[in-house]
Amino acid sequence: MTISTTALSIIVVIATLVATLTPILLIALFIRDWKKGCLW
Amino acid sequence: MTGLDDPILPTSIAWGLLAAFSVLWVVLGWWLGRRNKTAEDHMLAGRNVGLALATATAMATWVTANTTMTAPQLALQLGVWGMLGYSLGALGLILFAPLARRIRELMPRGFTSGDFIRLRFGTFTWRVFLVVSLIYAFGWLVSMAMAGGVLINALAGIDYRVGMTVILTVCVLYTLLGGLRAVIGTDFIQTIIIIAGAAFIAWLTIDKVGFEAIHFNLMEERPELLSLLFPAAIMFLFNNLLFGVGEIFHSNVWWSRAFAFGRHVGFRAYLFGGLLWLPIPIVAGFIALATPALGINVPAADMVGPLVAAEVLGLTGAIVVFIVVFAALASSLDSLLAATSDLVTRDIYRGHIRPQASEQNQFRATKVIVVLLGLLTWLAASYRGELPIVGSLAELLYFTGAFVASAIWPIVAGLYWKRANPQGAAWSMILGSGLGLASYFMIGFYVAALVGAAVSLAVMVLATWLAPRPFDWDRLARDDTQVMGSPA
Repeated sequence: MTISTTALSIIVVIATLVATLTPILLIALFIRDWKKGCLW
Repeated sequence: MTGLDDPILPTSIAWGLLAAFSVLWVVLGWWLGRRNKTAEDHMLAGRNVGLALATATAMATWVTANTTMTAPQLALQLGVWGMLGYSLGALGLILFAPLARRIRELMPRGFTSGDFIRLRFGTFTWRVFLVVSLIYAFGWLVSMAMAGGVLINALAGIDYRVGMTVILTVCVLYTLLGGLRAVIGTDFIQTIIIIAGAAFIAWLTIDKVGFEAIHFNLMEERPELLSLLFPAAIMFLFNNLLFGVGEIFHSNVWWSRAFAFGRHVGFRAYLFGGLLWLPIPIVAGFIALATPALGINVPAADMVGPLVAAEVLGLTGAIVVFIVVFAALASSLDSLLAATSDLVTRDIYRGHIRPQASEQNQFRATKVIVVLLGLLTWLAASYRGELPIVGSLAELLYFTGAFVASAIWPIVAGLYWKRANPQGAAWSMILGSGLGLASYFMIGFYVAALVGAAVSLAVMVLATWLAPRPFDWDRLARDDTQVMGSPA
């Protein structure tokens, strides 16, 4: 039983999309915390 | 040495990158830690770390050189399950989320995991726990320093001992200057570098090679890597899961963060950190599956990631990989140095040597201990081939598996099971570690964590069933500030 091209591509593309968006999310959270004065 | 014949990055460029990032981390560490006045500032960054920095530091610390280099290696050796199995390491972070919240609620003034064990289970169990925890912490420290030397040598041809010394010195310096604040601040930038770098290489691999070509070539040359019923890979998945949970549950690296994060931040930070960490091994590991399509000959499995990056991107790929690896190494080494020095300062120096040590004494002690830890790590990593056990990265890590897995149940029972027996907690760690180690030598590395966890669970449950010891949770907060050396 082997994984299909479609299944492999779906897993990898979703993972890469999440990884691509993660730095943006972290920077957005950082700016939010900084504006609210709760960075530290 | 596991280096390649020809390094993928020119040595001069590697030295330039090492120098630039070393200066950046040290200056940033000094700047972030310039207002630290007390041991509490230095060790716990003021106890009010916000969600952004907390999430990033949880992720960065869990992204080690293993994640960036071993995930592609596992994909190459174990296929799809290799990268999926590695990504399940995220469960350790996710499962720790409720524990972090409970730790903060039960011990609002706590410093270390040792504090909890001492107050919850008493002196004997505390000492057993310290042995288990320090063996693991030192093993991880040495393995990270060794990884630094090996990877810098393999990527850029810089001598193993020189590369290892540079990375260790840089991490000791900025941890010394800025404490946990420096560690968390640099972790934020390192997280962004690591994830952006890994995603960049993955997108280019997808674009240049494509899934059809990757799948077709794998089916032709290595069809087992696409198999969903690969027994060795499924066993690895289970073992990795248990090892990761054990590492996170007991280690002061994660406990010190639970104490340092703001009151309502810990749960969300570990949950988000785990969920966002989950795809990283898939992204880093996937590129190894492109080797048949790219026609790459892989002389050393743990170098497959850099080889694919260099093939797809040329010099740019080699530079990206070098920066990502340096960031991954630094983000774990600094956390370990800080958390282990806290544990030694609070639980050995203040707990056993100077119970009346003032805040200022502890502040100074923690700095001296960071330097000593760095020196000890350097010695062990320098003479790795000549020391017993410290043979290779994998051997060292698997060796600690028995210890970390035997600490899972005492921690969980200590936090949630009111009647958990303190002696049972100590013996579950002693017997779990002992039998786990015996199985490591008698059966194989892959059962050490499994046996350690199973024996520990059986002893903990049996001891509590035979002799339950009810505990008043409020004592943890009440006795939190009591003088050390006079435990419950």
